[in-house]
Amino acid sequence: MKNKLALLAFSAQKINRQHVQLVLVIVSLAMLVLGTGAPLMEGGVGK
Amino acid sequence: MILLSAIAAGLLVGLLTSHWRRHPYQSPEFINLWLVFVAFLPQLAVIYLPKARSQSSDWLVVGCLLASQLLLLGFAWLNRRIPGMPILICGVILNLAVMVVNRGFMPVSPQTASQLVSKNSLLDVQLGSRIGPKDILLRPDDTHFEWLADRFLTPAWFPHQAAFSLGDVFIAIGAFWMLAKPGFPVQFMNRGTQK
Repeated sequence: MKNKLALLAFSAQKINRQHVQLVLVIVSLAMLVLGTGAPLMEGGVGK
Repeated sequence: MILLSAIAAGLLVGLLTSHWRRHPYQSPEFINLWLVFVAFLPQLAVIYLPKARSQSSDWLVVGCLLASQLLLLGFAWLNRRIPGMPILICGVILNLAVMVVNRGFMPVSPQTASQLVSKNSLLDVQLGSRIGPKDILLRPDDTHFEWLADRFLTPAWFPHQAAFSLGDVFIAIGAFWMLAKPGFPVQFMNRGTQK
């Protein structure tokens, strides 16, 4: 158990601020384009 | 899917370019990021949640769509200095313009829609009624600003077939540019210039 916690803490230290920022940017950009774009997809009949 | 493909392609180009130039990749720095999540909520409620989508009236969907897109446009405006964002803003305005004058939805012609859905399914959709989450089936003669409607089709080799508008093109280009053109670190190493 202790070893697993230590491994988790070590892994968390590898996630630096830039990685988190990149993920946030991609997610927000995806929401921005999905929200403002209006393509009709194949098979997209019905509400 | 095509819009998300632009994001994926932009990120790939940006990462490869940074790797080639031996600079760390620097993603765009948005301000007021919370506004995107708040602005997306109305669309999430009436379009992307299955139960709510089938139970929401057209008027509710139109109201939520327009409110959401105006808020997203506001976010884009606040971040207009980011390279690529002005292009995306143009796309949003084009889409908004054609949707506002066509009952709040993106118009698509029966000819275009027939390339994406089966004829039997299309027979169940009346002219002037919704087809898809954000689209309305209208004849070109009945469409205002028809040149801004969902009138373009993805190539046959593209994995996901879709109809898209000129505004979608600008949005995709803007999103691609934002991620493909990485920012460089502000400080550069001085090479022997100090005395």
